[in-house]
Amino acid sequence: MNVLEEIIESYNKAVFDTDRATAIQVVADGLDKGVSPEDIVFKVVIPGLDLMVKAISEGYDTNLAQHFMTAQIAADITERMLVKFSAPPKYIGHVIFGTASGDLHTLGKRIVIGCLKAQMIDVTDLGVNVPAEKFVDTAVACDAQVIGVSAMMVHTARGENGALKVRKLLHERGLEQRIKLVVGGAPFRYDPELYKTVGADAWAENGVSASRIILDCIAEVAR
Amino acid sequence: MISSMDRLAAAARGEVLDHIPVFCNMFDQGARELGIPIEQYVSNGEYVAEAQLRMLKKYGHDNVWSLFYVGKEAELLGCKKIRFAKDGPPNVEDYVIKDFSDIEKLKVPDDITTHPAFAESLKCLNILRREVGGKTPICAYLTASMSLPAILMGMEKWLELLMLGSSDLRDLLLEKCSDFFRKEIEAYRKAGADIFVYSDPYGSTDIIPMSLFRDLSLKWMKRDLEPGGVDGVVYYVGGARLNPVADMVIRELGIGTFYPGPMDDIAETMRILDNRALCAAVINDIRLIDWTPEQVRAEVKRILHSGLNIGKKLFFGTVVMPFEIPDENIHAMIDAAKKYGSAAGFEA
Repeated sequence: MNVLEEIIESYNKAVFDTDRATAIQVVADGLDKGVSPEDIVFKVVIPGLDLMVKAISEGYDTNLAQHFMTAQIAADITERMLVKFSAPPKYIGHVIFGTASGDLHTLGKRIVIGCLKAQMIDVTDLGVNVPAEKFVDTAVACDAQVIGVSAMMVHTARGENGALKVRKLLHERGLEQRIKLVVGGAPFRYDPELYKTVGADAWAENGVSASRIILDCIAEVAR
Repeated sequence: MISSMDRLAAAARGEVLDHIPVFCNMFDQGARELGIPIEQYVSNGEYVAEAQLRMLKKYGHDNVWSLFYVGKEAELLGCKKIRFAKDGPPNVEDYVIKDFSDIEKLKVPDDITTHPAFAESLKCLNILRREVGGKTPICAYLTASMSLPAILMGMEKWLELLMLGSSDLRDLLLEKCSDFFRKEIEAYRKAGADIFVYSDPYGSTDIIPMSLFRDLSLKWMKRDLEPGGVDGVVYYVGGARLNPVADMVIRELGIGTFYPGPMDDIAETMRILDNRALCAAVINDIRLIDWTPEQVRAEVKRILHSGLNIGKKLFFGTVVMPFEIPDENIHAMIDAAKKYGSAAGFEA
């Protein structure tokens, strides 16, 4: 096993064990052994996120705390590595993120944003209780490819001022080919068809998987 | 005449009288029943009691609730602002703990029964006890010490403290939350509640790792429940899955009733409980908004048959029924639960 392979294995174990201190130490050791900051991000951190997404999709029993720590560790290490990059990083897309109108729950948003940042996606965090107009106006101003709307309650997930209104505005302004709408949050897990009811292009079962789905949407807009 | 209380006692013994108990968690629906906004509805214990009694008569289920909204507990601990919606549950808007340094300042009231935020709950409980006490189970909702911080500081901040913060600070907060829980359950017992729904989403391995559950959750659950015991206590993890921890909770705490999430396999839950505890067969009630009555009946039949195939210590339950569920689906669900939860319906 070479140095990079050892780092990948130790890093993934630390992430699955929600052990942030060890993950950071593994990366520091890797840098000491000559691994580049670029390789840490692109060969360790991002594949680590993909591994978690794969584990979740294959039914491996993960939990919310693991998702939170995966995002936290990935975002933290990426931020530390970016300043060490030999050339400024190239962002692959821009996402506007916030919770639906009337919704004050921030945890899912934090997990998604952490994962997106670790994948070189620029994120504008609009916070909580975001009006639909603000989502769309900001997406246009930032030339974003995706709007992400998080909702933890049934009435904010399905409500007329949430994702439904974002869709309506995107349609009215002729932006549907330019900007994709992704939703997530507990009500969508309990009703996997709900994303269609609220007019979203896609949904994510959890915060970690959301980054993969958003990446696909960015690629779709680029085509 | 068989009462709801008789049905529940029979179910706990593994017997079915006319049908298994049918529990419905209807909260905001009470406002619609009285034709008033949710904010007005939850401002007065008389409204809540009256709506619970009216819905009991209208739908014919087997329980009433003294819960106004979950944020009430945060109000008892100093929350000053609740956000109301026209079509959904009230939510905590002003967190009591905005910064980790607020944990030290958090004060548990000496006597929550004299707290103004509890006065309306008491009023409601008095009416319910007077009208249906001893005949229909009166439910109270209490958040476990491991989960209460989520409504005091938000889920994000609580998970941050739990996973990344100081363990001393975490334990200080948990001790205060546990002290609060002990006072709260005692107050509800004295006020006449029969069923104590011990709500602990952070007691599910959907939320935290098993190691944390073993090392932390169990310890604080024991502390919460130690003074008053587990009589009438129902283990509920907020709609998450509880199968992976059910056996441990029975062995370590002796809780006698389990309320799994709709994503738990009810047959597996029944096998794990193995006749040691009463169990709810819980429907995924978010789907009740869009399903047809036929779909509702089919799903009720499916989950009750799955559970009753394994054992008879079973009752039917919902999670927190969304406001938007059409009336005809509530009727369809309850009628189907009575039909397929009866000996004749099960055989059919």
